[in-house]
Amino acid sequence: MRKSLLISIVILTINCYSQNKQILYNFTKVPQSLLTNPGSDFKYDWYFGVPLLSGISANIGSTGFSAYDLFANNGVNFNIKLRNVVFSTTRKDHLAMNQQVEIFNGGFKIVKQENNIYVSFGMYQEFDALYYMPKDLAILALDGNRDYLGKIFNLGDLNVKTDLLAVYHIGFHKNITKKLIFGARAKIYSSIFNATSTDNSGYIYTFPSNTGVYDQQIKSQLQLNTSGFKEYFDENSTPNVTKDIIKRALLGGNLGLGFDAGFTYYPKKNIQITASILDIGFIRHAKDVESYSLKGLYNYRGIIPKFSSGDSVDNLYKDFQEAIPLDTLNSKYTTWRPAKFNSSIQFSFDEERPEECDCLNSNRETIFKNAVGAQLFVMTTPRTPLIALTTYYRRKVFKSLDFKATYTIDSYSFNNLGLGLSTNFGPVNFYVLADNLLEYRDISKANNLSFQLGLNIIFKNDKK
Amino acid sequence: MKGCTSNQFLGILLLLLFSNSCASDLDFDQVNNFKTEPVVVANLASFDIQASQFIVNGVEQNVIFDAPTIQLFNDSFFKRRLKKVELFFELENTINRAYSLNLFFLDINNQPVHVLNLAIPSYSGAENKTTKTDIFENVQLDLLKRTTKIAFIMTISPGKPLTKDSVGSLKLRSSVTAYLVVE
Repeated sequence: MRKSLLISIVILTINCYSQNKQILYNFTKVPQSLLTNPGSDFKYDWYFGVPLLSGISANIGSTGFSAYDLFANNGVNFNIKLRNVVFSTTRKDHLAMNQQVEIFNGGFKIVKQENNIYVSFGMYQEFDALYYMPKDLAILALDGNRDYLGKIFNLGDLNVKTDLLAVYHIGFHKNITKKLIFGARAKIYSSIFNATSTDNSGYIYTFPSNTGVYDQQIKSQLQLNTSGFKEYFDENSTPNVTKDIIKRALLGGNLGLGFDAGFTYYPKKNIQITASILDIGFIRHAKDVESYSLKGLYNYRGIIPKFSSGDSVDNLYKDFQEAIPLDTLNSKYTTWRPAKFNSSIQFSFDEERPEECDCLNSNRETIFKNAVGAQLFVMTTPRTPLIALTTYYRRKVFKSLDFKATYTIDSYSFNNLGLGLSTNFGPVNFYVLADNLLEYRDISKANNLSFQLGLNIIFKNDKK
Repeated sequence: MKGCTSNQFLGILLLLLFSNSCASDLDFDQVNNFKTEPVVVANLASFDIQASQFIVNGVEQNVIFDAPTIQLFNDSFFKRRLKKVELFFELENTINRAYSLNLFFLDINNQPVHVLNLAIPSYSGAENKTTKTDIFENVQLDLLKRTTKIAFIMTISPGKPLTKDSVGSLKLRSSVTAYLVVE
């Protein structure tokens, strides 16, 4: 029962990643697009997000298998399904999750004679997790080593990281020239919990041998760094999770710094090029840290009687513990945030003619009803970067309704259709974005799902 | 589209999206049926005794003896999940004398729980190996799990006495194949 509860919690928590926000990116009707490109072409007098409701996003992606593959109630023995998943995946397959909730978010304009400066700021909570398939270790656990003589099991397959943090940010964007908007954002990260085990290496092998029956060796370079968990491991302490989370979220955690930067450039009125880099930053884990390491080399030869003393002590287990000791360390460590790169090119057409002539305003913004474009997303991971390509169509349906439809190819799927809608009734902006719409036909078979929605109040004086 | 306001349009789209979505029946309780039966192989013991090692202070030893401790069967994780064990032994003799190897599996009170014998003739130039596989299940396995030491007693059969210059060696290779059930 405990096992099932634990796995269910893991699967449910995983309702949500990949960090690619391809629908939100450059969807400038939504203020949150500033978080994907601080140099977005988004103009406002001031805005604020409805606290806790302005930006809720959840994203889950798994390559290689889905919840259905493991837990389908289809009469097939669970152990057969588990074996199929383990043997059909590779060490590159992974499960990735990301969830964000904006606690507060707002922005205002600083009026300048030349070009206005748009300031935006806020705080959000983020949960990030990335687990690679520990393929070789899974095979070893399922089958043992008898049928794998000569195979070198790679301990580096163990690669996991989990982060819960609060992010405080302040950014600005302004028109450098009429055609170029530049923006940047500074971030302070306050880590609530972190567990990282990404720099592992080593091997286990069993070869046939002439000396013994087997030549068996373990080389282990495994380390798990944790911060924020220490007191929960201590049986004598009575930690208060809620209090700890709130305290650490309010800059009481392990702190880090980062920045985002981006631009929007119009080489022609109807052609737009954008790019951004996000989360170039690190967190220094110095408080409440505990690390565990298993490092060493052990050659297992079995018992070797000496026939000299008549009572030789062959303490193999002790030898192993001495060769590869489990060390608990309290040393500080640094983690890097997953850096993200976005870029896009967009062609707009079907210029909208204003109903009333506004001949005096020569600076009137040209509004196009339709646009098509392409986007590229790249994110760093402990192994090869994640890459996604998106093409999209964006349309202003009514004065108060815009939509963006996307088609994305990434390592999770080749048939990811997404749709984003943004409505503006007076100052109230509501948006909802969801991708992998085809997967909603049967969400349990989905490899990747994400959604985002939110509520903002935007004041914008179009005349200026 | 006339008369259709944007929020109606939005509502219809959302309705379409979610009314068309479904989820296949998933059963997370299946994880309770988890069962795997790994088979682990490892060395048990080995030695390579040169003929000259049977000579101590110029005198041939008829019996040599050692009883190293073994903790393999004491580990509780291992012990609880062990369903069957195969022990494989191979003795190779290139010394011009016959030998008999007795293995006594001793419990914590030094009482034998299992005895195994390997006899090997003297070397005559041809390959000279003897092998044995013992299988432990049920009651036998329970006895094996009590083993804390293995006494190796090597007895040399009568024959031409060995000297410091005698050639050849006596080699033992042995392994354990452990059948586990993890659930």
